Amino acid sequence: MTTKRVEVPQGWEAFAWKWMRYSGVLIFILAWIHVLIQDILVGVYQIDTSYVATRWSGGFWRVYDFLLLFFAFSHGMNGVRQVLADYIHSAGGRRALNWILLILWAIVVVVGTIAIFAFTPPAG
Amino acid sequence: MQVTLKILRYNPEKDAQPHYERYTLDAEPTDRILDVLEKIKAYEDGTLTFRRSCAHGVCGSCAMRINGRNRLACKTLLQTLDTSKEITVEPILGLPRVKDLIVDMTTFFDNYKKVMPYFINDEPLPEDGRERLQSPEERERFDDTTKCILCGACTTACPTFWADNSYVGPSAIVNAHRFIFDSRDRAAAERLKILAGESGVFRCRTAFNCTEACPREIQITKAIAEVKRAIITGRLD
Repeated sequence: MTTKRVEVPQGWEAFAWKWMRYSGVLIFILAWIHVLIQDILVGVYQIDTSYVATRWSGGFWRVYDFLLLFFAFSHGMNGVRQVLADYIHSAGGRRALNWILLILWAIVVVVGTIAIFAFTPPAG
Repeated sequence: MQVTLKILRYNPEKDAQPHYERYTLDAEPTDRILDVLEKIKAYEDGTLTFRRSCAHGVCGSCAMRINGRNRLACKTLLQTLDTSKEITVEPILGLPRVKDLIVDMTTFFDNYKKVMPYFINDEPLPEDGRERLQSPEERERFDDTTKCILCGACTTACPTFWADNSYVGPSAIVNAHRFIFDSRDRAAAERLKILAGESGVFRCRTAFNCTEACPREIQITKAIAEVKRAIITGRLD
């Protein structure tokens, strides 16, 4: 049996579906390492400003936390978009929903990114 | 034995809201829900309204919710249910009620038509002017989805369809699958383009309700996943 191939235009929904899968795999790895370190090896009660200062003294964990924020929040917001789209039936309503969620996502990611990369350890 | 059916009744000319009515009657364990409904209609209440045609699991007319699950009344034997308790019979969900157990299937069939559920091939016929041949393996590829009888049990068990009936639903995707993976058909790309859209296959959340509801035991969620894969990869193997 020969493999037949067809050209299918990849629309927004196909992109969003793939995004959920790829980001899901990344979050699975990033979040479990995060939980293992912060909650099990370190423990949440040990986390204070000096711990954060130590952790973010180099670039690696800053980039790591940025990736976790970026992928986890976009994954979550796309999930919210899909659930709410079930109940918002008009094209205009869905467009408004997409923009609201995109702006909300961008605000949180920008604020989080500034917090991660602009952090300077307190003096002393 | 005696059996009690609790049936959701609704007469749009009299009732503001649907309500349950109970019917207790003699029945055999080998009777089907459809037999019991026929007895109620013949001997207890002639106004009870439901669809039925072949009564042998082929026409797909008598899909209804029996004890909360979508089934065909003609394939549900009393001996497979707990007859010591009331058996609840309701219309399938997600479509407008017309009367008693009958719903308006217009939206269901409109969604079905969207995926062009018919053979498309404008190429000239083979030289002998007869069949477009395919191998047993090529025929096997879409065998499962040829079994659909359009009863609507899958689509009306789908939570996404309940919330938004513009979603084409599992039944339409199953019938698209039947032609997309047919080696003789030439409109797979068109169907996949439709199913890649906002109301298409990516609305499926893999709840598996459709697969559990199908009276023909079609692996519907698998078929939906294969259509998603065909959209992403362009491969029809």
